[in-house]
Amino acid sequence: MQEKNISANNFEQCQKCSLCETVCPVMANNPDYGGPKRSGPDGERYRLKNGIFFDDSLKYCLNCKRCEVACPSGVRIADLIQQARIDFNKKSPKLRDMMLASTDQMGPLASTFAPIVNFSLGLGPVKSVLDATIGIDRHRTMPKYASKTFVHWFKKNAAAAQDGFKKHISYFHGCYANYNYPQLAKDFVAVMNAFGYGVHLMDGERCCGVAKIANGMIPAATRDAKINMGAFRKSIAEGRDIVTVSTTCTMTLLEEYPELLKVDNDDVKNHVSLVEQFLYKAIASGEVKPVWKEGWKARAAYHCPCHQERLGLGIFTTELLKMIPGMELTELESNCCGIAGTYGFKKENYAVSQKIGKPLFDDIKAAAPEFVACECETCKWQIEMSTGVPVKNPVSILAEALDLEKTSELNRP
Amino acid sequence: MRFDVVIIGGGLAGMTAATELQRSGLRCAVVAEGLSLNNVSRKEFKAAGGTLLQGDKVTGGVIKDGRLLCVNTQKLGDVVLEADSFILATGKYFSRGLVADMDKVYEPLFGLDVDYDPDRSTWFDRSFAAPQKFLEFGVNTQDGAALKDGEPIVNLYPVGEVLKGISSAGSDASRAILDSAEAAVQAIKGRN
Amino acid sequence: MPVKNDFDVIIIGGGITGAGTARDCAMRGLKVLLIERHDIATGATGRNHGLLHSGARYAVKDSESAEECIRENKILRSIASNCVEDTGGLFITLPEDEDAGFGLDYQKTFIEACQKAGIDAKAISPSEAREMEPSVNPSLIGAVVVPDGSVDPFRLCSANVTDAAMHGAKVLVYTQFLDFIREGDTILGVKVLDTRTGQEAEYRAPVTVNAAGIWGHGVAEKAGVHIGMYPAKGALLVFGHRVNNVVINRCRKSADGDILVPGDSVTVIGTTSTKVPFEECDNMEVTPEEVSLLLREGCALCPALASTRILRAYAGVRPLVADDSDPTGRSISRGIVCLDHESRDGVKGLVSITGGKLMTYRLMAELATDAVCRKLGVNQVCTTAETPLPGSVDGRIETVSKRFEGKVSLGQKGAAGRQGDLVGKINFTTAEDKKLVCECENVTLAEIKYAVAELGVRTLEDLRRRTRVGMGTCQGTLCIRKAAKALAIALGDPSLEGKLAADYLDERWKGMRAVGWGDTLREMEFMQRVYKFQKPYSYDEI
Repeated sequence: MQEKNISANNFEQCQKCSLCETVCPVMANNPDYGGPKRSGPDGERYRLKNGIFFDDSLKYCLNCKRCEVACPSGVRIADLIQQARIDFNKKSPKLRDMMLASTDQMGPLASTFAPIVNFSLGLGPVKSVLDATIGIDRHRTMPKYASKTFVHWFKKNAAAAQDGFKKHISYFHGCYANYNYPQLAKDFVAVMNAFGYGVHLMDGERCCGVAKIANGMIPAATRDAKINMGAFRKSIAEGRDIVTVSTTCTMTLLEEYPELLKVDNDDVKNHVSLVEQFLYKAIASGEVKPVWKEGWKARAAYHCPCHQERLGLGIFTTELLKMIPGMELTELESNCCGIAGTYGFKKENYAVSQKIGKPLFDDIKAAAPEFVACECETCKWQIEMSTGVPVKNPVSILAEALDLEKTSELNRP
Repeated sequence: MRFDVVIIGGGLAGMTAATELQRSGLRCAVVAEGLSLNNVSRKEFKAAGGTLLQGDKVTGGVIKDGRLLCVNTQKLGDVVLEADSFILATGKYFSRGLVADMDKVYEPLFGLDVDYDPDRSTWFDRSFAAPQKFLEFGVNTQDGAALKDGEPIVNLYPVGEVLKGISSAGSDASRAILDSAEAAVQAIKGRN
Repeated sequence: MPVKNDFDVIIIGGGITGAGTARDCAMRGLKVLLIERHDIATGATGRNHGLLHSGARYAVKDSESAEECIRENKILRSIASNCVEDTGGLFITLPEDEDAGFGLDYQKTFIEACQKAGIDAKAISPSEAREMEPSVNPSLIGAVVVPDGSVDPFRLCSANVTDAAMHGAKVLVYTQFLDFIREGDTILGVKVLDTRTGQEAEYRAPVTVNAAGIWGHGVAEKAGVHIGMYPAKGALLVFGHRVNNVVINRCRKSADGDILVPGDSVTVIGTTSTKVPFEECDNMEVTPEEVSLLLREGCALCPALASTRILRAYAGVRPLVADDSDPTGRSISRGIVCLDHESRDGVKGLVSITGGKLMTYRLMAELATDAVCRKLGVNQVCTTAETPLPGSVDGRIETVSKRFEGKVSLGQKGAAGRQGDLVGKINFTTAEDKKLVCECENVTLAEIKYAVAELGVRTLEDLRRRTRVGMGTCQGTLCIRKAAKALAIALGDPSLEGKLAADYLDERWKGMRAVGWGDTLREMEFMQRVYKFQKPYSYDEI
């Protein structure tokens, strides 16, 4: 007999308490958006009856997942909205959306021509052209493309040394670290090496697909997801668990693959960790030992990005950073920065995106830290552009605060 | 991960107790699945240096010799939350501090003793406006500690609506909720 | 006491039979008075599956009913397109049916009987059935496709009443029949009570039609005639969303809980059949045993129901009639019973129309109206089978919602689905009017105003029957206050708000109590908190 009332995608557990609406950053700033309850579980009941009830305003959802974190009933509200967009929105994606979404295809092109791309993207008239022709807002500072990708650097400078370690992990670097910010990936390698882990790249790593999902390019995202899961399985079979740095990639790999793309990852899930989670556990269990730089000091404010909030692993970052003797860490009130990946880059979303981020920007300005600690790459763009306060990834903070040489001596087998 | 006190539930009772304990110098972590209808600011707790696991959910724990040693959560995987004392502030049915089946009411995390009437026809009054018996159900305690199979779990303190006889749909409910939180705070401070 | 004798016919009962009879009589040019003690569709009309029978269910045992059903099925599809959804239906055979003697041999008999009755029934393979309806019990060994559908009984009843009124009928709701005005063996009219004002009145007409469903038993007694009625309670459960999109039946001898109907935004399982005393007909409670039985049988049709949230339970009473030819009263007819009490009992001026089913209401109305016309000496033919109902002239949501200018809101689409081509009468001009009052069911303030102005709404229950307000997942928790306020203002008496809301909450509470566990109980706690302790959100803004 009936034990509990749960439907397959549990939308009907929604009690209509509307707490999701109180945290939705879009609803508060865009009157055209019906909000998570109406777009998600309410809408779903009527979409099941007739597809005519699909509402175009679902496109305004930025998939920050704050509704899911707020939901006391465990309803996967954002997934319902994304799923409805996949099922009912038959309009093909715009060229602009495809450009923004194809991070791993645009990336290689842009890197090759990085000086030109960076120069032209920073130029007023060019941005106006982008604004007018493909709808990328001209106020946006486009992410810079590095002239040499991380993978290129790694193969040339680091790969050879990795087999010399006793313990090994595979590194899912993601598009951002590879194309836009190789220094983060280099810091990762330095820190992992110092703790005695050899770092390996996975052949055929693809973009996690988050931007493709957000822009409706589902078949392409699914293809990439399958390739990634294949690469993960191979790595696990070879005895190397996977460590990630990007919270958004991680959320996509762990949550969106099975939920939205229907790509199974059950056997892989427990072998994937965020780097902060991985290191916290290794240090807490005594598996590795850190040696901190004498006299290193910093006053930082931690901003928990939306997708980290959804993953619920932010506690590992804060506990790890609190281990640093010279670290004075305050935690910012949890708010969305407004960028949400490619969302804030679109002209129609720019104003809303800045409005969404305002409470966070104000908090940061009030806290006046030396820098903001944050795991997310797109938050970094948005916060730096909007507040002028530098944003550092926790991995880069570790690379600074650790005495890498002594740490590596201590952890050498 | 070790704390002095782990508070399960981030509603009125849980956050009030957590903030007071954190301010008194104990290291506290609150596990809060979803926001609470009792919209207490979690800012103060964080400002006092407390650790808030928002959107995570306690799934169970290890009880040994009448003590709760640690709890597991959905998100932290094999990392457990250990503490000297635990506060159970999971509320009633809405927040799933209690779960009702067709013929029974139980406490889902630890299987604590719940006071309820097995005859479901007695749970409700025909009039919506009348007092409703199902809202009186809740866990049993002895000197503030939770009971399981009649024996106390000495370091697990249920507070707020998960307790029998306390319901926010009653009159003067917040008083009773806050009183129960305060009692647990005093008991925990006394232990430390 | 005012005495009014301006009518050709008085019809007692605002269920689908009375509404259909009022429409037919009015369309044949008669001056009609329809009286109903509550609101329209409050009895069995509003308390059934909402199944648009193909007739297949009756084909083996009762070919006459089957033939009636399929004929009326086709008629309703053409005259009530806004009330009908062409879902199609399946009759499935499960492995356990084989053991009970209703295996694939019976399926063959079933298909033959259907075809003989004119029902297009076709066997398909289990895998085709699973593809057609993914929620169907996957262990099925056979399936037959039939032209079942779903019908919204509230909408259907309302459309009949509206059309009757458009043809000049006077409709008095909240008007209770007290007694007949009688002279010797002739019924001259009725004494009634306005239940809201407490005023009594008399209305006279040469013919009175007793269309009061199970309560018709009591109405007939007042005329001193006896109809051997058999009140058969049927309980049903409403699930939180559409689990299936095709009606699912069991291909076996009809039994309890073997029909699963998707209707509007929900799925309904039913029904049971128990004889109840007449005294209980006014207040049906669904018992725990009925809930368990419906769940058990429902899960056999569609295993997902085991873990699907139940919104509420409700029960209606079928007005079954014992066969006049059987003195023991044991032989029950499921067919239409139209009694001319002059020839049957020597009481002039009274016709009773009862038995039958929602599906055949139009035919029942035609038979009753024929009887009325015979008595009045009126010679007009019935045209109800060819004339679309209001809202259904061009009633499909896809066509109706194209009529709006600019971006069509969810509230407008919802209204288009419910009100059909009458949606143009709803005034969506201001932003205020476009705002949703009921977010579960997409009901706007504009639609509420329209229902009050045009559809005779007096209470929130009445409003629910016209608009689905408060019928969704939260059972009104979030919208009752807003709806009550809007209704009170529209009725011209803002002080009614509290009473309207309180009455509605008790009614919702009744349906939820029967299934008060799991997520339904969570919702019940939420409801209690919202209305008794605190208001987490502002209900003041509409």
